[in-house]
Amino acid sequence: MAYEQVKVKTPLILRLLPILSIITFFGTWQLVVDWEIVPSTMLASPIQIFQLFLVKWTEVNPDGALLSQHIWTSVQEAFTGYLLALLVGIPLGLAMGWFIVVEGLSRPIFEMIRPIPPVAWIPLVIFWFGIGISGKVFIIWIGGIVPCVINSYEGVRMTNPTLIQMARTYGATDWQIFKQICIPSALPMVFGALQIALACCWTNLVAAELLAADVGLGFLITMGRKLALPDMVLLGMIMIGLTGVVIGVVINYFEKRLLAGIRR
Amino acid sequence: MDGSEARKTKIEVRNLTKRFGDLLVLDEISFNVGEGEFLSIVGPTGCGKTTFLNTLSKLIPSTAGDIFIDGEIADPKKHHLSFVFQEPTCMPWRTVRENVAYGMEVKHVPKVEMEKKLDQIMGMVGLSDCAGLYPNQISASMLQRIAVARAFAVNPDLLLMDEPYGQLDVKLRYYLEDELVRLWEHLKSTVIFVTHNIEEAVYISERILILSNKPAKIKAEVKVDLPRPRSLIDPRLVEIRKEVTELIRWW
Ligand SMILES: Nc1ncnc2c1ncn2[C@@H]1O[C@H](COP(=O)(O)OP(=O)(O)OP(=O)(O)O)[C@@H](O)[C@H]1O
Ligand SMILES: [Mg+2]
Repeated sequence: MAYEQVKVKTPLILRLLPILSIITFFGTWQLVVDWEIVPSTMLASPIQIFQLFLVKWTEVNPDGALLSQHIWTSVQEAFTGYLLALLVGIPLGLAMGWFIVVEGLSRPIFEMIRPIPPVAWIPLVIFWFGIGISGKVFIIWIGGIVPCVINSYEGVRMTNPTLIQMARTYGATDWQIFKQICIPSALPMVFGALQIALACCWTNLVAAELLAADVGLGFLITMGRKLALPDMVLLGMIMIGLTGVVIGVVINYFEKRLLAGIRR
Repeated sequence: MDGSEARKTKIEVRNLTKRFGDLLVLDEISFNVGEGEFLSIVGPTGCGKTTFLNTLSKLIPSTAGDIFIDGEIADPKKHHLSFVFQEPTCMPWRTVRENVAYGMEVKHVPKVEMEKKLDQIMGMVGLSDCAGLYPNQISASMLQRIAVARAFAVNPDLLLMDEPYGQLDVKLRYYLEDELVRLWEHLKSTVIFVTHNIEEAVYISERILILSNKPAKIKAEVKVDLPRPRSLIDPRLVEIRKEVTELIRWW
């Protein structure tokens, strides 16, 4: 039973060292700013950032929105793009893996778009959509769709050929084989794409917001730079990291649940 | 059991030829199989046994010649073919019972009939106890039984088996061979069984075709006209085994 978990106790030292390392990191950082080794116009101390963090829950200025609004906007944009990427990318990848016609038609276009970094679309997207939500969703979508297509395609391609032969000898049609053999056998790879695509989406979102936005975590960083407020820049960076981690944990949980559902 | 002349011809193979490019693998193979007959095919390694079954089952197209079932050209979409492969073919996302049901599902067998058939077959191959388990929770011999059960469940016009027990140890193999014979006697399917193992072929089949080295031709035919249940130490069986071994010496 491959999926049975074996509980291994983490050695004490591996639990202590990370704590030590974090304390040292933030301690040094705090001292570097306090002793003005680095001028305060270039770096804010952890305590200042934390104070700003608390203030930003209730204070709209100077960037024009509450921290919760920044987070919520970013999450909304990321998830809209992410879901659209899954919705289009997974079926497309699965079909490309099995139906020669689909692969033949879509592969050249896919290969053409794939090497273009999603942020390169930003100028065009601003022409088309302005700086509203739809433009950013487009950029996230185009970045997220690539891992979805690739993983789903590979998943179908990795189907055990003997299973396909077995189905054929029973007279299964192409569609039956696709539905009953290829898709279930590709599922672990497809679920793997959930994480990868999310990471892509989140990164692209921030890049998109850096260039075109009026609210969002990326925008918070841009404002911090414009207003020469290092604490705001750092707060934006940290919130992007933290939110990304939280989303990652949530997706990971669902992925595990889904995988456990199809394979005991 | 008086060979195939007495019974109706079910399968007719005519001049079956297969080339891979310039490589001739099957050379004008022709033979008949009677309805409900158990036919074994033995041949040296690499002579084209798997190619032969793949061509028979239409998994790969033949270069020339054809196979007829009840006088019609065989078609997996129309006839009921089953194929038990050398390696187990279980879908890890389906339970044992769902795996056995797969062939019937493809053929849209009505639900009620399917459940009845499943109960019967699962009982006969001793899978009832692990019906709800997943393939990674059961042993290798069980996996091959799933494939065998699935194959018999569709009432096949022709059941093809490619060394299904080649990987298993001797004791288990004897056991599964007996089980196979029981299934066949009960369900009266027409079986073509490919093997390396002469003893196995003599023990289970009614007739043995011996293939020559590549390109494969039918080199000889041996009838095994012994009552069942058979015993491996029955002198008549030993005699036939020797005869087949003798024919194979000439390779
Ligand atoms: N797709 C293919 N293309 C080219 N040559 C092939 C192909 N499939 C099989 N062959 C050749 O046909 C010959 C017969 O192969 P096959 O697998 O049918 O033998 P076999 O009797 O089943 O062998 P084994 O006893 O090892 O199972 C081999 O020489 C092999 O190289
Ligand atoms: Mg073979």
